[in-house]
Amino acid sequence: MARILIIEDNAANMELMTYLLKAFGHTVLSARDGAQGIDLARQERPDLIACDIQLPKVNGYEVARQLKATPELAAIPLIAVTALAMVGDREKVLAHGFDGYLTKPIDPTTFVGLLEQHLS
Amino acid sequence: MSTTVDAISRDGNPDAVVVMTPDGLVSHWNAGAHEMFGYTAEEALGRSYVQLVVPQEQQAGEQALLRSLSLAVTTREALRQRRDGALVYADITYRAIGDPDGNVEHILSCEKDVSDLRVLRLSKLMDARFGQLLESMPDGIVMAGPTGRILVANSQAERLFGFERGELRGKLIEVLLPERYHAGHVGHRSGYFDKPRTRSMGAGLELFGRRKDGTEFPVEISLSPLQTEEGTLVMSAIRDISERLKAERKFRGLLESAPDAIVIVNQAGHIVLVNSQSEKLFGYPREALLGKPVEMLIPARFHDTHPGHRKGFFSGPQPRSMGAGLELYGVRSDGTEFPVEISLSPLDTEEGVLVSSAIRDISERHRLELVLREKNVELEAAAMAKDRFLASMSHELRTPLNAILGFTGVLQMRLPGPLTEDQEKQLQTISSSATHLLSLINDLLDLAKIESGKVELSAVEVLYQDVIAEVASTLSPLAERKGVNFHTHLPEAPLTGFTDRRAVSQIIINLINNAIKFTDAGGRVSVTLSRRLEHDIGFTDISVEDTGCGIREEDQVSLFQAFSQVNADAGQYREGTGLGLHLSQKLAVLLNGTIAFKSEYGRGSTFTLSLLEKK
Repeated sequence: MARILIIEDNAANMELMTYLLKAFGHTVLSARDGAQGIDLARQERPDLIACDIQLPKVNGYEVARQLKATPELAAIPLIAVTALAMVGDREKVLAHGFDGYLTKPIDPTTFVGLLEQHLS
Repeated sequence: MSTTVDAISRDGNPDAVVVMTPDGLVSHWNAGAHEMFGYTAEEALGRSYVQLVVPQEQQAGEQALLRSLSLAVTTREALRQRRDGALVYADITYRAIGDPDGNVEHILSCEKDVSDLRVLRLSKLMDARFGQLLESMPDGIVMAGPTGRILVANSQAERLFGFERGELRGKLIEVLLPERYHAGHVGHRSGYFDKPRTRSMGAGLELFGRRKDGTEFPVEISLSPLQTEEGTLVMSAIRDISERLKAERKFRGLLESAPDAIVIVNQAGHIVLVNSQSEKLFGYPREALLGKPVEMLIPARFHDTHPGHRKGFFSGPQPRSMGAGLELYGVRSDGTEFPVEISLSPLDTEEGVLVSSAIRDISERHRLELVLREKNVELEAAAMAKDRFLASMSHELRTPLNAILGFTGVLQMRLPGPLTEDQEKQLQTISSSATHLLSLINDLLDLAKIESGKVELSAVEVLYQDVIAEVASTLSPLAERKGVNFHTHLPEAPLTGFTDRRAVSQIIINLINNAIKFTDAGGRVSVTLSRRLEHDIGFTDISVEDTGCGIREEDQVSLFQAFSQVNADAGQYREGTGLGLHLSQKLAVLLNGTIAFKSEYGRGSTFTLSLLEKK
């Protein structure tokens, strides 16, 4: 079982993802904004990070930049879970350093499985 | 008695009888003198005879003659000038009367107007000498002497003025002039003999001739002196210029009717003709423009280069616009500049090649262009704002849907615990409604992007078999769940095209989705890929055929309109946004393709996407 950090400002969506991951036996760490997310990542060294893009204080792109610029954190799989789902968004997100891209609304039957694919 | 006879011979004499003092002052002036010279006795008495009636250039000689008179009789023929300026030939007899010592006390002058005789004589002489020559000339020619009597007129002149052959001879030249010019003309013609030279008459004035019947016509006249042993004569060549004026008037009318300012310039760069639009445009009266260098209408900074351009034009003159691609400016009389557009054309005239330039003030157009540019910037900003709005719409609508669909799924996965049958059914309704809402959002956003031209197509080489197989694999589970038989018929030979893969996929997905949606369990949906030639142009056809409910004829016209989803039976609910076909049609147009369909109500429908097979 893995320790997964979720960075998400929307309470309902945070609750959804937390519930799903816990149901599948994972441990969930949660951050409400980008800055808090980066701090938590430094302190806790999670196995995987699921991160929204539109976040208060520090947005998802900046989170990706800082994490990937930190050698001891760069290897942690960083998956974007975002409502930015228009043409070109996927390419843009991946170009900013994310290792995966899932669009909202998520499919609860496949969500956990897709994240788990990124766990070595 | 003798006094009476004297008086009669003096005052009753039809000839002019003038008595003067030895100094030449008039002391007696009879009725004949009044008649001949036009002065009354009251006007003449006490004045100098010479100054009164002798033409100016002969006055000195005449004065000398009078002073040297001996007590004898002198008879001769000489010119005399009437009060109205007209010259007449007079037969003059001077007689000096004095005391026995030879001192002159009075001078008696008897004068007789012999103009008629002299004209007749001269006329015969000149006719004999020049008659044939004058007949050969194209213009009307009239020859006259100082008295203004016509000596010779050629038949062209007589025809021109409507006279019979020979009818003009001996008549005063004024008979050919409108009456309003008579008085002035007598002075002019007498003056001509003072300084005779070849010149045109009345330069810059409009001249008119007068026919025998009183009608007038515009003329051009040139005068030349002719020295003969009978004295100086004048020859006038007269040309009727009615036709030319008419043509000129037509040309001028044409100029005036042009919407542009027209300035005509000669090879020296001087303005020779302008229309009134030019006066308005540049703020000069016509007189201030004519004869001036055209550079006065051009801003000073172009003065150095313009004459060179001007010469360049004359070296190969042909109609063209001036300074193509350059911004041209005119300058008004008050010094203000304005942008212009100029077209040039050569004008072949009697005065050589001229250049006619049509000048249009394009200030207004410039202003509009500026406004348009500003508007464009605004529109671009608005389009960008719209894009941002669409993006945030998409984001904001998806965020709450995430929780709705997610927790519905969580419940359906029974993660929190078991469900009753009712709960399961109700959760299914929530789930399908929310999914429907999501497709609506997706389709609407796609549509908005197509409408604003923001859909970027990237054409790549595609293998149609691949595209269809991929779409089929995603949709066959749907068909399976519904109990619909789903097949693809793909040719062996690879069919390729150069197009946008995503757009083609989206259209096929929409068409197959619809087919499955409107076909009941046990029905059949098949996709066929084929190639077709039409007038040597290759097309790739992708047909989706179903055995569904079909489309009623009255519904077929509105099929591709947004939200026009037709319900096979009232009340029967079909999943879908009602945007699918509308969207597919728009995408097909972007791909230079078409979507055609045939349908039989109750039997099924076939939708065919046809794409141009390029290369």
